[in-house]
Amino acid sequence: MSCIEVSRLSKSYGSISAVNKIELSVESGQVFGFLGPNGAGKSTTIKLLTTLIPPTSGSMCILGIDAVNNPLQIRHKIGVVLQQPSYEPTLSVEKSLDKYGMMWNVPKIERKKRLEQLLVDFDLKEIRKKRNEDLSIGQRRRVQVAREFMHDMELLFLDEPTVGLDPNARRNLLDYLKNKVKTGLTIFYTTHILSEAEYLCDKIAIIDKGKIITVDTPDGLKSKFGNEKTIKIHLNEERKEIISFLSNIEDCKIDFDNGTNIIIHSEKSEYILLQILKILNDEGIEIEDLSAVPTNLEDIFLKMVRENASDN
Amino acid sequence: MHPIIRLVNRNLTISLNPGFLIWQVIFPLIYIFVAGFAYAPLIQNVPLGARDLDYPAFLASGMIGFNIMNSTLVSGIIIWNDRRHGMFEQIMSGPFTRSHYILSNICTIGIVGLVSASLIALVGYPVFFDSIEFSLITIPLIVFGAITGSVLFGSLASIISTRLRSSEGFNVIINTVFLFFAFVSTAFYPAEGAPEPLRSAFYLNPLTYLVDVIRAGIFGTFTEFVFYEMIVLLAMAAGLFIIASKLLTKLDF
Repeated sequence: MSCIEVSRLSKSYGSISAVNKIELSVESGQVFGFLGPNGAGKSTTIKLLTTLIPPTSGSMCILGIDAVNNPLQIRHKIGVVLQQPSYEPTLSVEKSLDKYGMMWNVPKIERKKRLEQLLVDFDLKEIRKKRNEDLSIGQRRRVQVAREFMHDMELLFLDEPTVGLDPNARRNLLDYLKNKVKTGLTIFYTTHILSEAEYLCDKIAIIDKGKIITVDTPDGLKSKFGNEKTIKIHLNEERKEIISFLSNIEDCKIDFDNGTNIIIHSEKSEYILLQILKILNDEGIEIEDLSAVPTNLEDIFLKMVRENASDN
Repeated sequence: MHPIIRLVNRNLTISLNPGFLIWQVIFPLIYIFVAGFAYAPLIQNVPLGARDLDYPAFLASGMIGFNIMNSTLVSGIIIWNDRRHGMFEQIMSGPFTRSHYILSNICTIGIVGLVSASLIALVGYPVFFDSIEFSLITIPLIVFGAITGSVLFGSLASIISTRLRSSEGFNVIINTVFLFFAFVSTAFYPAEGAPEPLRSAFYLNPLTYLVDVIRAGIFGTFTEFVFYEMIVLLAMAAGLFIIASKLLTKLDF
């Protein structure tokens, strides 16, 4: 079942087009990653989908409801963690969680139960009495994300939720989200940390300059755009003449780094590697180390954004 | 629970912190019991309509209006704080409309104004109980003053909150507004006897109307002039409320 259906959605500010005729379809019960460089249109898209701002044109159907005409109906069913910090400075951590639950009309007994659980899940027990204004950026961020789980929701929007978190807290949050998805929650997750998207997301869309460049699974993206592999060869002594030995090999890009490192980029890496090894053997050049670097999402992302920039 | 009640609950929780309450009581108490009695030997009697009041009673009644202004200006800052700390956007992405948000703020400001007026009336009662003249219109006049005054000053603070982003600019404006309203009014001294153009300037200030209405209620000096002052107060409160609501409706994220 489709949770988000977006068609030709646009948002313009004067002559600037922040989001340009995007098409999206997000299935229920999955984590949908929304990637893009800074200023690509990620936050504007979230603001549109969470009905904070109206679109200039296009249609949005969220949880089966027309989002343009029934924004309040949708806001009852979603949770939103915005990119910017949001907190009540004078309230303690536990008070702000409790008040947030109250604002969502969660009964008092249920609030108390959820609050205690969230304090444990987000490692907030020790700071439960601390005022929000006295917390570190990371602690405040944890409170902001935890607070959203005080109420029930079908769809959760997370706009770069791990900003300011240390690696441990980041991993804990991602694992927490993974478990929540198993209970049926759908997550729309924006980030520019690609390892996060790779770890968490079932499907990924890449947006740049307000347009969606591609939508696929992380593995799909890798197989579609990540055929090029990188092989690193480290020689045990500096041999400058190697440049001329390898210059005739086709279908690859070879970088030489300080005369001892050879870095090969090719879509036919295995075939190229055999040729190089033969040449090195014939010339009596010894290899100290050899490694193959798997393609990651970051390489694909950078490649796609660069290609998109050059197309424009 | 209705969304507006939930938001009012939240607003009161963040507004009524111990510091705010202490400030709300201590500040006017110093005026009433220190300034009031210290100036009493210099200012024997203050004319109010057809009667004379002693200065502490005059000042204590003025402090009710002054405290309504003070507390509601502070409550009006909720909007500014919400914008500054990302809560405006967060609330608007939740199960609330802008109308809920605006009305909840007005209700909060009204409650704070009423509580604040009651608090000072209670504290100042020993000072003006000799001169007080209870009638059928005493309580309605005070409640009218407290509510319209709260809406007026709360709307003003809301307007300032929607227009300014920087804390420095906001503090400068709020302090300037506060100083003008507090001291160019009849809260501390009567308009009669004040030199021109100061006397006219008193009547450019909504606090003057608010204080005059409350004094008329407490001391039974309701006249036709006070009735016109009520109309002016109501018109100003309505005008500022409409402007504040329009600005809040247009407030962008």
